[in-house]
Amino acid sequence: MKNLWQSIKESRAFYSLIGLVVLVIASSIIAPSFRTVNNMITIFRQASLLLILSSGLTAVLLTGTMDLSVGATAGFVGCVVAQLIKHDMNVAVATLIGLLIGVVIGLINGTLAGILPGFIATYGTNWVIAGLGIVVMQGAVIYDLPPAFTQLGVGYLGAIPNLVIFASVVVLILYILLSNTTLGRKIYQYGSNPVAAKYAAMPTRRVVLSAFVICSVCAAFAGMLMTARLNAADAAMGDTYGLQTVAAAVIGGTSQKGGEGGVLGTIAGALILTIVVNIMNLTGIPSQAQGLVIGSVIIIMVLIDTITRKRQESKMN
Amino acid sequence: MGKTILTAKHITKLFPGMKALDDVDFDLQEGEVHILVGENGAGKSTLSKIILGAYKAEEGEITLDGEPIVIQGTKDALERGIAAVYQENSLVPYLDASQNIFLNREPRTKLGFLDLKKMKHDAEELLKTLNCEYIDVTKPVSSLSVAEQQMVEIAKALSFNPRIIVFDEPTSSLSEREVDSLFKQIHRLKAEGLGIIYVSHRMQEFPLIGDRITVLRDGKKIATVGINDCTNNELVKMMVGRDVSQVYVRNQTDFNEEALKVEHLCDFDGRVNDISFNVRKGEIVGLAGLVGAGRTETAELIYGIRPIKSGDVTVFGKKADLKNATNAVALGIGLISEDRKTQGLALSESIAQNTVAVSLNKIFPNFFINMNKIREIAKDYTNKLRIMTTSVDKKTRFLSGGNQQKVVLAKWLSYDPDILIFDEPTRGIDVGAKMEIYNLMDRMASEGKAIIMISSELPEVIGMSDRIYIMQEGSIVGEVHRGDDNFNQEKIGELMMLGTGGANE
Ligand SMILES: Nc1ncnc2c1ncn2[C@@H]1O[C@H](COP(=O)(O)OP(=O)(O)OP(=O)(O)O)[C@@H](O)[C@H]1O
Ligand SMILES: [Mg+2]
Repeated sequence: MKNLWQSIKESRAFYSLIGLVVLVIASSIIAPSFRTVNNMITIFRQASLLLILSSGLTAVLLTGTMDLSVGATAGFVGCVVAQLIKHDMNVAVATLIGLLIGVVIGLINGTLAGILPGFIATYGTNWVIAGLGIVVMQGAVIYDLPPAFTQLGVGYLGAIPNLVIFASVVVLILYILLSNTTLGRKIYQYGSNPVAAKYAAMPTRRVVLSAFVICSVCAAFAGMLMTARLNAADAAMGDTYGLQTVAAAVIGGTSQKGGEGGVLGTIAGALILTIVVNIMNLTGIPSQAQGLVIGSVIIIMVLIDTITRKRQESKMN
Repeated sequence: MGKTILTAKHITKLFPGMKALDDVDFDLQEGEVHILVGENGAGKSTLSKIILGAYKAEEGEITLDGEPIVIQGTKDALERGIAAVYQENSLVPYLDASQNIFLNREPRTKLGFLDLKKMKHDAEELLKTLNCEYIDVTKPVSSLSVAEQQMVEIAKALSFNPRIIVFDEPTSSLSEREVDSLFKQIHRLKAEGLGIIYVSHRMQEFPLIGDRITVLRDGKKIATVGINDCTNNELVKMMVGRDVSQVYVRNQTDFNEEALKVEHLCDFDGRVNDISFNVRKGEIVGLAGLVGAGRTETAELIYGIRPIKSGDVTVFGKKADLKNATNAVALGIGLISEDRKTQGLALSESIAQNTVAVSLNKIFPNFFINMNKIREIAKDYTNKLRIMTTSVDKKTRFLSGGNQQKVVLAKWLSYDPDILIFDEPTRGIDVGAKMEIYNLMDRMASEGKAIIMISSELPEVIGMSDRIYIMQEGSIVGEVHRGDDNFNQEKIGELMMLGTGGANE
């Protein structure tokens, strides 16, 4: 028990978990409607796409690189799949193609990130993919998709929205992948010290590629769910998610330097972001002002994290 | 000996879950070299860092010239005249030697610009006093060898003109010649009345420079003795708490099958020129040479991590295509690299995770891992190598230097390759564990493994090797066999220096 507490305290998710708890308590006090079961389910549903996107991004961040293209990837894949279905393609086949596009984008991003800094490479692909989305949509917006598809995004299993179930499954898979497999271990080791990973005979290129593929496939999946949920596709629909995804992972304590953090913290990060937005909606803060609040939360969480880490490090040297 | 400069009384330092120092007393006099010894993790660096203001002790008091003081940090310590050569490299890798030496106190011209000329000149003068004029002070220090970087660190500490210098294992990466230059400087500083705290595991150094020795064990002070008041064996017993045999064990067998053959190997940087040698199964082959002789570079060529320009490597009779370390490991070659911080360890990962870093796929061919199994393997090695830690889940960042080195060894010993290159395997490792490592090497050889050993400590190369190749400026200049007349320190040392005139590397 003492050990468990110790390891929670040492883990980088610690502050985001505390932040989440504080936030939930504070929100319950500020807005009594926050506490209702209905609102809780709403929050989870609102968080689900962000959870999928940011868990995927966590894999890339752990290798010490960055993927800024998740928002565009989600939007693009959502559009392509909508077009395919509109052109009478079978829903299952279209979804599969959507996921394959995710794999391809991941391979491209990962290859580029092996040559250029990931930050810059994916900032570039972000624009390219967004542009492709506009080409695919030919400037229009697609409506009215068949229920077989939209059901994925709007349907329920009992009282629980399908989206929440999908998100839970993805998060669970990523958690297991990152902490209980040899690939996950290699991602952490590479992120912690790429040079040592090379000396430990790790196929470093392949590890980085895998991380990017994981990330883009998650983005592709989220994009399709987004389309299904909206019952519409629009080239720009992923845009708002780009930065939020990065924010959720970083708030969750995954180091931008790589090697430290994980899905657990990212879950907390995604929930924090979603709750902040939710509470602002409940209290009637206009959406134009919400960016200000989100930005501040990001800065505060990252500051806390950086300062505590600095203190830890100065203790060692 | 002069008057007491510094005392530290009742020092206690806590880290999460442990007492690194427990009520330790220490004092330093003018013109003395006070040696700190003890096993890995005994608390030597911790005590040094408290004196240097890098750590704050939970309890205890420090006096300087009889006045109680509170040291507010390393900068404060420097202002009081206490400088250090830390155990771990503290240079900024992308700055050159002169910029590192004068970091944050660069000389200025009258107009307020950096006086680069003076910086370069002063840095060169400092390095000259250490007989290191061959170091290019305008190259980023990351391109210097580990030993050269160490000499820059020493020059930096001297440049503060301190009253007290702490040397934390300054010689662990140096070969004999650099050690000589350092000791000359230490004698000079001593004569000038400085107080010197000296941490080392190399006992042969103690009578050359030391005056008093303080022994630490498990964070407690065991004794302070005069250098001549205690034999080596007594000292070891105080450190380890038991008798440790200090003889090299080498159970030679017959060597027949050739495991590794290297022919006319060259690299692109001219650090390795036309190297040819071989290693047979069951054999330990030593590579001796001065710093810069190209031993590490040769190892890196064989391990596939440094591009080969020309030449052949044959592994168990088959020509090897070495493009990266993955190729080498697939062929059964392993390399325990010399630089534990940059090449050896993932510092934010635990002891357990580092221990299995190379073996992951071998232990878990089915993709899924089992943390308990990883812990078990790590525990086995923490016992074997006497890694001092409260748990195998501890991040390696929080281990003492020697214990980190042991984790690097554990990583490769647990993988158990057929051909294993040890590059400075005992750097920073205490006497007790050193013997353990020698025994392990001997056992591996008896099991038919082929071993290459690189070490700057000639006695251990001679003690363990069946054959030694002597390298100089990237070439092999001699080969000696165990049992021959020239298989001794004197003759091998001569071969290492031959033709260099002791001038450049
Ligand atoms: N920053 C830290 N956090 C936690 N534990 C630490 C930290 N620094 C040192 N320790 C622990 O304190 C103990 C003493 O460490 P120290 O570095 O002083 O040993 P040492 O005598 O210098 O050993 P070595 O010969 O290996 O350099 C070790 O058990 C180490 O794990
Ligand atoms: Mg130490």
